[in-house]
Amino acid sequence: MIERFHPFRHQFVQSASKELQIFSILAQSFFQPFSLKDNLLVILTALTAGSGLGFNRAMLFLVDGDQLKGEFWLGPSSAEEAISLWQILSTPEIGYSEIIDYNRRLLMNESNPLVQKIKQVSFPLSPQEPSLPALAAVSREIILVRDAYNEPLVDPQFRELIKVDEFLCIPLLSPDEIFGEIILDNAITRKPINNQDIELASLCGLAAGNYIYVTRLQQRVVEMKRQAALGEMAMFVTHQLRNPLVIIGGFVDQLLAPGLDENKKMRNLRIIKEEINRLEKIMNRLTGFFRIDIKEKAPVNLKEIFKLTIEAVKPMIKSRKVTIETEIESGLVHVLSEPVYLGEALRNLVENSIEALKDGGLIKIKAFRENSDWIVIAVEDNGRGIPNHLKDRIFEAFTSTKEKGLGLGLAYVKRFMEASGGQIKVESKENQGTIIKLYFRAG
Amino acid sequence: MKNKKRILVVEDEKNLCLLYREELKRAGYEVVATTNARRALDLIKKGNFDLIITDIRMPVKDGLELIADIMAIRKDIPVIINTAYQSYRYDFMSWAADAYLIKSTSLDELKAKIKELIG
Repeated sequence: MIERFHPFRHQFVQSASKELQIFSILAQSFFQPFSLKDNLLVILTALTAGSGLGFNRAMLFLVDGDQLKGEFWLGPSSAEEAISLWQILSTPEIGYSEIIDYNRRLLMNESNPLVQKIKQVSFPLSPQEPSLPALAAVSREIILVRDAYNEPLVDPQFRELIKVDEFLCIPLLSPDEIFGEIILDNAITRKPINNQDIELASLCGLAAGNYIYVTRLQQRVVEMKRQAALGEMAMFVTHQLRNPLVIIGGFVDQLLAPGLDENKKMRNLRIIKEEINRLEKIMNRLTGFFRIDIKEKAPVNLKEIFKLTIEAVKPMIKSRKVTIETEIESGLVHVLSEPVYLGEALRNLVENSIEALKDGGLIKIKAFRENSDWIVIAVEDNGRGIPNHLKDRIFEAFTSTKEKGLGLGLAYVKRFMEASGGQIKVESKENQGTIIKLYFRAG
Repeated sequence: MKNKKRILVVEDEKNLCLLYREELKRAGYEVVATTNARRALDLIKKGNFDLIITDIRMPVKDGLELIADIMAIRKDIPVIINTAYQSYRYDFMSWAADAYLIKSTSLDELKAKIKELIG
């Protein structure tokens, strides 16, 4: 016999110790789809959750340039508020997500005096003799301040802000960076901060530091991926532009050199014009690619759009002995889509098929129903198939097996199908052929 | 008159093929140009070429495969890679070529390299 449990405990077990509760919140926070600040709020919540269990108030400072800048201040601003707040938070049914929701609302509330005050303060991190709170971050130490009113190391502005005689400073660190600082106090209950409190708070500080570290790494990885994709795109486009430019440059040089006869001059101009058209086509395809916006769908006549597609690729099939057949399931007349984009998508698919075919190849464009939900348009060929190593990448922009291909055809089809709310499926066997199926919602 | 040196140009762009043929002829060479690397191999087997200029990315057979085939039958013919791509420079097969040039709107570099290799 087995028993299964959800990995996230949404309710605190009331009998669980304070340490276990905090540990549970911290561990779960890493799996929440929240923003960095939301997750830091979770950690502050862990530090202040429960009446008298946690600290009364928690402040978060984040490093911004060479400043420690105030972000959040969580907790009641007076004894009366504390009582009502802790009543709510200690309701038996209340779970951790409710507490976070409650705290998030508290922080969004501009009239909250703690929120107003904390946003206005910042402390320099690199003065000659740093004072508290900056000192804890700079020295990478946890610092407990007792008798704050008489402690010369406490910044006077900060003393004025926090107005307690005992507080704890926890730096948020990675091995080589300082991210910020958490400051905790018991302003309402006046309970002295003991060693156990410091242990727990340091655990939260480590978790918050790790969390910020991982989040920033993730952001950097995403950014690097984006940069790499952009770099690849720039390189691909550069290559596509180079051949026409080389041809134009070469034939212009011939025109400029003396002694070229009239016939050749005309021929060169024709070639140059041809290559300029090609450059323009590349530009148009690139700009067109980034704009697929389906505002309205309309019934598109299948027979007609197939006919138009074949018409569009006629110049290509003329030079190759390729046959195109169409097949529409009886009773099927329309598909709900956007005719211009659909036409372009079909043209791309058929062009790809033609290019994959040797003389005597066959392409079938079909339309049929697949159960009652979908209408499928399929383009099938008996060409060379998609090489195994490219199978996973064929829909990525700028992936092409063709020297002259921009690698945008299938990426366009994919974007179009995404914008249509449809699906796309590929079946391909090397040297046997490829079927690409576009699924449109029926009705 | 001294026999002209014979160059084979392998380039799948029709217009580039034409441009190279005309310009290298003008520079005093005998030029055969083809857009198909497989056909290029047949030509190399039959004809006596002093130099081969090849593109890399081509349908049917790419330039690096062609170089491998040339190595197997005629190691002595110098080969110039002439491509739009920088990245193949790191493909070890491209090291077998005698020169690696990036296609340019001026043919001066190509002509200079040919002169250096076969005079």
